[in-house]
Amino acid sequence: MRRYVLRRVATLVATLVCVSILVFVVIRVLPGDPALIIMGTEGSPEAVARLREALGLNRPLAVQYADWLRRALTGDLGVSIQYDVPVGRLILSRLPLTLPLMLMAAALMVLTALPLGLYAATRHRRMGDYAAMVLSQLGIAVPSFWAGLLLILLFSVRLGWVQSGGFEGWSGGVWPGVRSLLLPAVALGLFQAAVLVRATRSSVLDVLREDYVRTARAKGVSEATVLGKHTLRNALIPIVTVAGIQLGQLMAGSIVLESVFALPGLGRLALGAITARDLPVVQGVALFVASCIVLINFAVDLLYGVLDPRIRYE
Amino acid sequence: MRHAVVLRVHASFALALAVGPVAARAQGTLVVQNSTEPPGLDLTATPASATAGVVLYNVQECLVKVDRHGRLVPWLAERWHTTDDRNYTFFLKRGVRFHNGRELRAADVKYVFDRAMNPETKHPYPGYYAAIGDIIVKDDYTITFALKSLNANFLLNLARQGSVIYPREAVDTLKSEPIGTGPFRLAEWVRGDRIVLVRNPEYHAKSIPRLDKIVFRFIPDPNAALAALKAGDVDASLFGLGPEHVQELQKDPRFQVIVGDTTNDVILAMNNSRKPYADVRVRRAITHAINKADVLKGAMFGMGRILGSNVDPLNPYFVDLAGAMPYDQARAKKLLAEAGYPNGFEAVLKVSPQYYYAVRSGEIIADQLQKVGIRLKIEQIEWGQWISRVWREADYDLTIIGHAEAWDIANYANPKYYFRYDSPKFQELFQKSEVTLEDKARRDLYVQMQRMLVEDAPAVWLFMHPRLLVAKKGLQGLWKDLPIPSADLSEVAWTK
Repeated sequence: MRRYVLRRVATLVATLVCVSILVFVVIRVLPGDPALIIMGTEGSPEAVARLREALGLNRPLAVQYADWLRRALTGDLGVSIQYDVPVGRLILSRLPLTLPLMLMAAALMVLTALPLGLYAATRHRRMGDYAAMVLSQLGIAVPSFWAGLLLILLFSVRLGWVQSGGFEGWSGGVWPGVRSLLLPAVALGLFQAAVLVRATRSSVLDVLREDYVRTARAKGVSEATVLGKHTLRNALIPIVTVAGIQLGQLMAGSIVLESVFALPGLGRLALGAITARDLPVVQGVALFVASCIVLINFAVDLLYGVLDPRIRYE
Repeated sequence: MRHAVVLRVHASFALALAVGPVAARAQGTLVVQNSTEPPGLDLTATPASATAGVVLYNVQECLVKVDRHGRLVPWLAERWHTTDDRNYTFFLKRGVRFHNGRELRAADVKYVFDRAMNPETKHPYPGYYAAIGDIIVKDDYTITFALKSLNANFLLNLARQGSVIYPREAVDTLKSEPIGTGPFRLAEWVRGDRIVLVRNPEYHAKSIPRLDKIVFRFIPDPNAALAALKAGDVDASLFGLGPEHVQELQKDPRFQVIVGDTTNDVILAMNNSRKPYADVRVRRAITHAINKADVLKGAMFGMGRILGSNVDPLNPYFVDLAGAMPYDQARAKKLLAEAGYPNGFEAVLKVSPQYYYAVRSGEIIADQLQKVGIRLKIEQIEWGQWISRVWREADYDLTIIGHAEAWDIANYANPKYYFRYDSPKFQELFQKSEVTLEDKARRDLYVQMQRMLVEDAPAVWLFMHPRLLVAKKGLQGLWKDLPIPSADLSEVAWTK
């Protein structure tokens, strides 16, 4: 197990280095000079040239990357061109929004998908199954930004129960914070659940056809135990795999939804930084998100061993 | 069992949604929606209109101000005089305090302009101050600007966003915590979310500001902005809505809709250095082939004004030339044939979807040009690319964009500008207008320039993008027109 973990850590580091090089090169190869974008159409060419120099963009690409990497290793991700704030601080300031949003959306996703998928599997080719499948098809078909807008129209404009957007922060207590994240979490989580419902259903269906399930039922074990103990546990590996991928999708989906709900989260930070060619921020956020996704995958891999003792990593 | 847990969780969410009304807002607070977050708040470092929309005239002010009617009025300078149009002496208002409590003195003004003229400081508009030779502080409240040459726009330039006055000691924090003399001071900038301004209790002008607090909320998505307005979460949208939303809100009795004039001219720019646009007959043909009324109807729901030349309707020298080069397909075809393109040609129109009007206008124009044989391929490129490829490198055939800067006819006198329009005669007229201070003579020059642009057709002036402002009923004192890219909220108040 230790060797396995070490190997994974090495892969993690290699992935991050690749990601950082890729982002570094891609963002600079893209047409669009940060100095020009900052100065806009009204800035004089001299002013643009001076700004380029001040931002260090005149130096060779390799020198810029080496410089960035050296600082990043000491924890210094640079300073945002747009905000004039250290990138690390900027990312940290967005986490009190993005992390709870992810957690709420992920919880909603799992809490909806598992029971619904299980239910659909046990009602295979009956009304309940068809209803669950139609629902999940709808969830896959409806883009989350549109779902977000519909939720705003219903709960904010029509009913006036929650704010249409914005984040109230946690200083006023837990509830105002949770309230401002409810709609985006629903739009993100419920609609991402659709895929997981299908994965759960098919995985559970496979296990339900196994001999040991038939044996358990023949022994007179209650249906709840058959499903909970014998079926679900054995069906979890593919479900966890899909859920892990879905978590990454949640991060991508949050970029759009944070714009719809005007939330100052990590997604909007990334989007704004790309538009403004705020290179240090793009670089920092990409590295952070990549680390998170790699860590999620790492956690999923470790979870396999926990779920199925037969899986040994030696 | 698991089902029951899920049901309970969902029930508690439903319950949670049912309680917790949206907090009522204090009377002295205004929540404004902005689409774009400023890329920093330093007006001496960025030309971004998003920065001006928050800071200019609200947080920081100039010696002179452009008022809501486009007139130049004394502001931090209570008056000025000149005997020869070369030496301007400004008399500062006494008792004006910066937000840090220190009184504004003539030395601050000198520092600000010395810094703006210093090439090291990356000021975005060094050209505004090119005519200034010397700045002499006479005493704490008197300062003289000695010009090297006559400059007709000197006073206007002192009222623009790059000319805000700030205290020397705050120069390093202008980007994140701008300090000025304005009616509001910056209270908080939550990056990515909002900027909060609060009333400056020591403001130098009587009876303003009338609001206690302004919250600029950044909502980039226009549909989300519309929902926020309808839900009552924001009170006003100054720039963020499109004509389709405005039309919808015009029918809603809870809102007031203001459709005003701006200095934003939306144009179809042509690369005058490239074939076939180097030929004036082709440029004229394109102008005749475009039905601007249909473009305005399709792209802007009829809101805005059709233009015929570059000067905007808020400019005192504006001449309405909308009918000077009318829509005439037969004429367009004839001109194309004369230029050697009887069967038209293929062209690429590069537009940035960041500006909805550019894409919409482009689609209508593509259809119209098709009828005279010009086959247009629309290429949508991201803003960063547009600014690099089109604006800087002039790597384009045709493009559509709004030019929001006031008095921007100067662009046509610059052969290196991305239009690549190089007319020595126009350049001479423009140079003359820059040193002509007598109003009638200057007006004549401006009329000549506008007419010359119509004849030379270096671009097609489509329409003036209107100001589309939506606010809750009961909000008063908002500017109808935008003679300068500012969102001056000093006189805005809620009716009791």
